[in-house]
Amino acid sequence: MTKHKVRKAVGYSVLNLVFLCLCFLGLIPILYALSLSLSSGGGALSSGITFLPSNPTLDNFKAIITEEPFLIWLKNSFILSLGTMVIAMGVSVEAAYAFSRFRFPGRGGVLKLLLLLNAFPQILSMFALFRLFKELGLLNRHLGLILIYAGSMCIFGIWNMKGYFDTIPLEIEEASKIDGAGNLKLLAAVILPLARPAIIVTSVMILIFVWNEYLFATTFMLSEGSYSLAGGLYQLQTGDYGRSWSMFSAAAILVSIPILIIFFFIQKYMVSGLTSGGVKG
Amino acid sequence: MKKIVKAMLCVLLIMSLAGCSRNNTVSSVKEPEVTGSETGENQDSKEATETKPVELKIWHDGDEAIMGIIQTSLNESLKDKKITVNFEKKAGLTDQIKLYGTDAANGPDMYLYAHDSVGMFAEMGILAPITDVIGDESLSELLPMTVQAGTYKEKKYQLPVYFETLLFLYNKDLWKGEVPNTTEELYQYMKENTDTAAGTYAVVNQHSTAYNVSPFINGFGGFILSAEGEPGLNNAATKEAIDYNKKFAALQADGDYNTVTTLFNEGKAAAIIGGPWLISGIKEAGINLGYKSLADFTLPNGRNLAPFAGVQGVCVMKYAAEAKKDAIGEVLKTLAGKELGAELAKKSNCAPANVKAYEDTEVAANEMVVTMKQTAETAQPMPNIPQLTVMWAPTESLLAAVNKSGEDLDKAADKYQQEALTAIADMQ
Amino acid sequence: MKGKKKYQPWLYSSPAMILIGIIIVFPILYTGFISLTNMNLFHWLDYRVIGLENFKRALFKVDSGFLKALLTTLLWTAVNMALQLVLSYFIALGLNAPGLKLRRLYKTLLMFPWAMPAYVSILLWRVGMFNTEFGLFNKCLSALGLSKVNFLSENIPAFLSCMILNLWMALPFMIMMIDGALQSIDKCYYESAKLDGAGFWKQNLHITIPFIKPIMAPAVIMTTFTTFKQFDIFYLLTMQKGAYTGATIQTIITYAHQNAFVSNNYGLSSAVSIIIFGIIIALSLFTNRGVKETGEMALRKKGGAYDKA
Repeated sequence: MTKHKVRKAVGYSVLNLVFLCLCFLGLIPILYALSLSLSSGGGALSSGITFLPSNPTLDNFKAIITEEPFLIWLKNSFILSLGTMVIAMGVSVEAAYAFSRFRFPGRGGVLKLLLLLNAFPQILSMFALFRLFKELGLLNRHLGLILIYAGSMCIFGIWNMKGYFDTIPLEIEEASKIDGAGNLKLLAAVILPLARPAIIVTSVMILIFVWNEYLFATTFMLSEGSYSLAGGLYQLQTGDYGRSWSMFSAAAILVSIPILIIFFFIQKYMVSGLTSGGVKG
Repeated sequence: MKKIVKAMLCVLLIMSLAGCSRNNTVSSVKEPEVTGSETGENQDSKEATETKPVELKIWHDGDEAIMGIIQTSLNESLKDKKITVNFEKKAGLTDQIKLYGTDAANGPDMYLYAHDSVGMFAEMGILAPITDVIGDESLSELLPMTVQAGTYKEKKYQLPVYFETLLFLYNKDLWKGEVPNTTEELYQYMKENTDTAAGTYAVVNQHSTAYNVSPFINGFGGFILSAEGEPGLNNAATKEAIDYNKKFAALQADGDYNTVTTLFNEGKAAAIIGGPWLISGIKEAGINLGYKSLADFTLPNGRNLAPFAGVQGVCVMKYAAEAKKDAIGEVLKTLAGKELGAELAKKSNCAPANVKAYEDTEVAANEMVVTMKQTAETAQPMPNIPQLTVMWAPTESLLAAVNKSGEDLDKAADKYQQEALTAIADMQ
Repeated sequence: MKGKKKYQPWLYSSPAMILIGIIIVFPILYTGFISLTNMNLFHWLDYRVIGLENFKRALFKVDSGFLKALLTTLLWTAVNMALQLVLSYFIALGLNAPGLKLRRLYKTLLMFPWAMPAYVSILLWRVGMFNTEFGLFNKCLSALGLSKVNFLSENIPAFLSCMILNLWMALPFMIMMIDGALQSIDKCYYESAKLDGAGFWKQNLHITIPFIKPIMAPAVIMTTFTTFKQFDIFYLLTMQKGAYTGATIQTIITYAHQNAFVSNNYGLSSAVSIIIFGIIIALSLFTNRGVKETGEMALRKKGGAYDKA
């Protein structure tokens, strides 16, 4: 018994050690960026290997937050991310449900077709979307970008959630059906709570995609005040930040932080959604 | 099911085709509409002296400090005429102009950029010659070279504002003795004062960037692209220049923009070959800066280094030239004036296109501006024909192959010459 | 099926289909249309339909360079996917070891690379890691008294560098997906397996992998496509304008970009796009078969529950 316990404890220490190493390895570039961002000028660049600059300063962060319209971009990024999440999830949950629960002619074909469509390099779509949006008057508007992002992530959403819906046994639904619930009601009351992890994972994926996208964001938005964070920083890296590496690093870290915070908080829900025991085969 | 998909596709196809054709008609209808009302009112009100305020949008992809000076100066001068200009920075300007160049609602009225893309946009038919807006007499004070740079197929498309060339910039605290006058002596100095292992360098240059190697290529009598649109990558003189540049490259670190500027700004490199766009960073780093014209270095063949000149100027979009002709004319005239030129030179070390600006005593005393003007007198402007846009990639691949991967020069030159020829053929 | 029911799935999926139609299908059709025209620099506004001319020219581009690029792309996709799946599988297993208290912290830290915009990460690596003067790798080498290495100047080291960067950027997503899938496995399977005396490897092979396979299939297929389409890493790391490093690795997308897109010949480059799309479709017919099989397997496991629907 004690021997077993000791072995277990050693096992966990090793596992913890492995994960600490792994996290450190993965974080090296970021720690390096962090040390750059805390240094004044480009000092850390040429000195030896160190993760702590000699005179740490928050000037770079202060400069970004106060001098550049950082907060406006942050707000835009939130609008775009949330808008995209709502629209993309709103349309793909129903579609995923339909593809998972109904057997109808053309089902397999459409699913495959969607996958193939997703394989088309999006960068090639830019010109066509530009022409279309110009006609629709959606250029230089957040709604336009939200539609592009939602459309781009929609296929991913459908496939990802369909995969999860498939693992939810039909018996659970059958029981509610007998109670007289309609399909949509069923979806909202029974399937969605059960599929919480999939829904959260998919939403976060969409959020991160929007958060980090810069090409459409800078092409379809025209004024500095309407850029998203990634787009705004992309505009800047050719100018101010291109000159100052430490500013660029500080900006990079600032962009990543909101995503990390969100990620840290949703983890709890992911786990509880998964372990509540709704999923039994 | 298949039927439904087919039907969907058909509907979309029809929608898209309808979209395109409608697009053409709409844009051709929409623009004159704006034109009619605006110019009409402008002309009507000319007599009445009650001018309507006009806002003009200028895109750029340059240094915000320089653009800020131009914007403030323009708005100051044009306040009475109720014209306001807004400079907006667009990273990847040329790609944006391709999309928005026909979009009167969202696109800019003008853009300020280097002259080498003039040919491309003129050929696309989205620019109006500046002579449509202002008379030739407004250009009389401008350096002929700068006007020539923006002329494509005998039409003047760009109003030059300032120009830049590469300079030899050095750190007076680090450079030992006098800066030599020949490239061979410079090479000797580099050999003696470079320690790549320790990361300290005598001279750094973006040695695999076409623009930065052009002083050598032009100096040896080679060329990247001839005026007729022929690439010259495997031309004997070009190859000689690339070969000569190679031994310098070996002592010049990686040659990437970020790398070389940081090395210089941090005092790890005593000198850098670069342009005025580096100045604000160098000033921030607090470096005791000295200049020398590249044209003052003699090559072993007896000729001098000959950098390209890049002319930064304003081009007018076709739709804007029709709709806001008078206001744009005022802006261009002010831009061509000597006051703005002198201010630019004083505040940001730009070499103005206006000749009269150099008569200003303060400008005449500005070492850097004067050095650049001297260089520009011998420098040739970059070509501005559309073919140039596809030449940068093969040229730089060639330079990188020779300088960084150690490929055989002759083989690589033939390979990338072929690539350049294909790329040019693909344009048609 | 009753008449009303027949349209129900279409009703449910119609909003998604309309959105996809506008954002994804329309641009493809439009690209197809442009590929039939002579839209280029010299005919920017007055382009007209010229038939299949561009396709003839584009097919000439399917030369040795293109085939080499295609092979490179396949190699790149295969190696990356294999490494990604194996590594993230084991990391996710580790994260799910019962009793690992710091799980949440580890997960958040491991997600960090993913939270950064791609171009920021790539530039960060180009200068902060691979650069000959300031890169951490070269600083380590110098500290050890070794000479500097230019990681990006030759093809093989550059390929490996791109791969490491891609793993760094893509692993977080894979770990998160596998982690999610692992958590949906009912623990009682393992208990009964343990009673049967199944060891670690047996449990993985017979329970874990078959169970997560159908859940993972879509994510894996999509990541495969993303890896296949990868452009940013190669472009920004080795061939950004003004920052060529000397490596000449071409994937089909970078090859097409260099050979067709810089020329501003939209007709020709659209034709090349359509051909590439065709190649992707052809290649994915193979993967599609894979999906079908795993899908059917899932059905069988469920004891045909779906037949009732």
